[in-house]
Amino acid sequence: MAGQLAVDASSSPETPAVGSPPVLVAKGVGVGYGGVRAVDDVSISISKGEVVGIIGPNGAGKSSLLGALGGQVKRTQGVITLGDRDISSLMPHDRARLGLVRTFQTTSEFARMTVYENLVTAAEGDRGASLRSVVLHPRQTAQRELELRARAWSIMERFEMTHTADLYGRELSGGQRRLVEIMRCLMRHPRVLLLDEPMVGVAPHLTGKLIDDLRGIAQEGLGILIVEHALEVVRKLCDRVVVMAFGKVIAAGEFEEVVRDPVVQAAYLS
Amino acid sequence: MLAQLISSAADGVVVAAILAVAAMGFTLQFSLTNVLNLSFGAVMTIGGFTAYLANLAGLNAWLGLVLGAVAGAVATVLLGRGVLRLYARRHTQLFEMMMVTLGMSLVIDYGIQAISQNAIYGYTVLQAAPIRLGPIDVTPIQVAIIGMAVVLLVAVEAGLHLTKLGKALRATAVEPSLARSCGIQTGRVVLITWVVSGALCGLAGVVYIISTQSVDYTTGELFLPLVIAAAILGGVGSLRGAVAASLVMGLVTEIVAGFGGAAYSTVAGFAILVVVLLLRPGAVFGGAEDRQLVL
Amino acid sequence: MGAWAFYITTLLVYFAVDVLSAFSLNLQFGYAGVVNFGFIVFQAAGAYAAAVVVLGPSGGVASFQQYVFGARLPFPLDLLVAAAAGALLSFVVGLFALRRMRRDYQAAVLLIVSLIALQVVSADVPLFNGSNGLTGVTWPFGEFFGATATGQPWLYLIYSLVICAVVCGGVWWLSRSPWGRSLRAMRDHEDAASAMGLNITSLRLQVFVLGGAVAGLSGGLLVEYIGAWSPGAWGYAETFVIFTAIFVGGVGNYRGVMIGTLLVPIIFLEIPRFLPAIGYPGLTDSLEWVVVGLAWMLCLLFRPRGILPERRLRAPRAEGVALDPAPAEGGA
Ligand SMILES: Nc1ncnc2c1ncn2[C@@H]1O[C@H](COP(=O)(O)OP(=O)(O)O)[C@@H](O)[C@H]1O
Ligand SMILES: [Mg+2]
Repeated sequence: MAGQLAVDASSSPETPAVGSPPVLVAKGVGVGYGGVRAVDDVSISISKGEVVGIIGPNGAGKSSLLGALGGQVKRTQGVITLGDRDISSLMPHDRARLGLVRTFQTTSEFARMTVYENLVTAAEGDRGASLRSVVLHPRQTAQRELELRARAWSIMERFEMTHTADLYGRELSGGQRRLVEIMRCLMRHPRVLLLDEPMVGVAPHLTGKLIDDLRGIAQEGLGILIVEHALEVVRKLCDRVVVMAFGKVIAAGEFEEVVRDPVVQAAYLS
Repeated sequence: MLAQLISSAADGVVVAAILAVAAMGFTLQFSLTNVLNLSFGAVMTIGGFTAYLANLAGLNAWLGLVLGAVAGAVATVLLGRGVLRLYARRHTQLFEMMMVTLGMSLVIDYGIQAISQNAIYGYTVLQAAPIRLGPIDVTPIQVAIIGMAVVLLVAVEAGLHLTKLGKALRATAVEPSLARSCGIQTGRVVLITWVVSGALCGLAGVVYIISTQSVDYTTGELFLPLVIAAAILGGVGSLRGAVAASLVMGLVTEIVAGFGGAAYSTVAGFAILVVVLLLRPGAVFGGAEDRQLVL
Repeated sequence: MGAWAFYITTLLVYFAVDVLSAFSLNLQFGYAGVVNFGFIVFQAAGAYAAAVVVLGPSGGVASFQQYVFGARLPFPLDLLVAAAAGALLSFVVGLFALRRMRRDYQAAVLLIVSLIALQVVSADVPLFNGSNGLTGVTWPFGEFFGATATGQPWLYLIYSLVICAVVCGGVWWLSRSPWGRSLRAMRDHEDAASAMGLNITSLRLQVFVLGGAVAGLSGGLLVEYIGAWSPGAWGYAETFVIFTAIFVGGVGNYRGVMIGTLLVPIIFLEIPRFLPAIGYPGLTDSLEWVVVGLAWMLCLLFRPRGILPERRLRAPRAEGVALDPAPAEGGA
């Protein structure tokens, strides 16, 4: 069915529930580059169906925090749990296999692969594409390929990207690349989605649709953590907002009250 | 046993001095341009052959040393300005630049092979009777080489920290676009770096063949692994690091050679890098992913 | 058999060996983005392993050549040993050389491996018989068809072409499989690939070892034909002939790679034989290498997509999805 997206069986559609147990929890996370403390003792949690926004001036440590959560950046301290599992010291691919996937600030499409291939490759990370299963279980591999094909097309339809299926990643516009990254994440049945400035490069008249799409995805039971500069987008999209400056969380809460916070206004003006 | 160890260690210091001269040149140009220059070994060979030819022409061996350095500088400037610039203009990536330097290395090495008729030439200059110091035999030239390395280290360090040009160079190495907008002529900085590092490279080639007493087309290429390993191990861009790493490499290679493993001495030097790679890859290779080309 | 027929046969055996090498390198470089500048070492390791398992027991220090673990294994064990040697050495080298690091460092480390290997082999007499290398390597069918491969070149040609076809077919099939697709994802964006659940470390090691096995096999095939193994023939520069062939033919396209192999290591490197000799013996060899280096640099300067560039794989349509007009090849 077009437009419908199957997420984990365990996560049936529900409204963002206040008080539902958090799926991703980070406690006291720190990131340092040499002497610089880019992220300092940050705690954050995301529940199922919830969209949490991170805002803050450039260099506040937002991307570094996402890196620590996804495992791309080495964390110097803190504990990260996904569901009831401590993932603090897992490799990025293991975190992805547990349902934590992300996009990057500079788009990370596979440039010399078609959009279709981008999607299908993302989905088979665990077992499907291993050398052993390809060689020893060709039939299962072919079967899985068929399933992934159907899923890839339905996701492309949802994002109105079917016409790009045969285009290489490097042939896409900036906005299309952002969409490919998000579609790729969805291929993996994620539990938590980390988005690093996904609206950059997206044509203004399309941001509204993307906001609706992301809200729809969250409704299906995902937790979304999104770094975003445009406050208008954050206001429409996020249930909660976390404000970072100089590596620290300086405010958190509902959008309206957070932006009125004098501390936040000071951080943005300085 | 102990005597053997001490005398190997003494040899190690000599090798380290040669290595340090080369590694300083390598790290200097690498930290500035970010191009991993694999033609460095080939330029060393050029320096060596220049000194050999100078000697053949009856020139003084010390003059040969100077000429070798000049040849290294000229060759490096030609390659950097002439060839690499050509590629930079076509937006060649850093990684491809390294492949380009490899091509240059092939061309130079085998060009020299063609000209030198693929023969090994003896180069016995400045040899004098060794002086006995307890268990150690050192020749005056070995002492001179060590002294030269120390003087060069001090001179280059001083140049980097005390002169205006040195400061410009360090600024460019850290943040090229910022340096440029501060009015630093990065093109000139790069040119000077090619000259200085090329001279160090050529000089290293000459002292290397003085120490091994022969030169052929593979001379520099066989020394290159240790140079790169020392430069990387020392932390790219750090002269003192390069010298310290050279010392470690020199000692290890000579001690292994001294105890009968001549075939494996280079391997032993390289093994240090491998161990560091295995234990602390971040310490050696961290955070340089998005460096940009500066030419 | 006439001199010409023998010459052509020999070239075709070389072609089979080079195609195997080029396929292995293309899998590693074109698909996985692993720049194996030490390729020749793994081929040489396979060749050495094949040589010692067909030479028979070593005569020790007294005999005219020394080596380790002499044996006389029949086909196909000799080639399997060669492949295993290439794979094993790749595994060991891969454990440190494939650590996450800048790609140019990685390539440099592999180049260093190949420079050092040459020194070690030339200097270590008990293990590798020093710079003299090994001679008298026979081929696996000695008892049936005659003592040496060169005595029965046609047979050896068919033998090597069959092996080449089977192995290359396997490499091609793997490249087209979902596993090969994962390799391309890793090549295009390592961080994104691992963020999508691909185990980069393991993928890279797999492709390195697999390529090493093919390299070792090709080395074994070669050494049994020419009958001798000497370190001088496995210099670091040999790797770049194969790389140039891949650039010329088209990175990522196996048919292109075959054409490139025919053009560079076979036709180009053989032309000088038909030119009048110049200078001292060996001069043309040196000049050939200079030209290879120049060709390599020109490839990088003009970045040709090769004779047959990598092909776009069209997405298979799922049922019930409207077909859009396909985009033009090579757009944007
Ligand atoms: N790879 C890196 N090496 C060194 N410093 C870094 C690196 N990445 C980010 N930083 C520094 O860490 C701080 C936070 O950066 P980042 O997380 O990208 O902030 P944001 O995404 O909020 O703009 C900045 O001061 C930046 O300069
Ligand atoms: Mg950021």
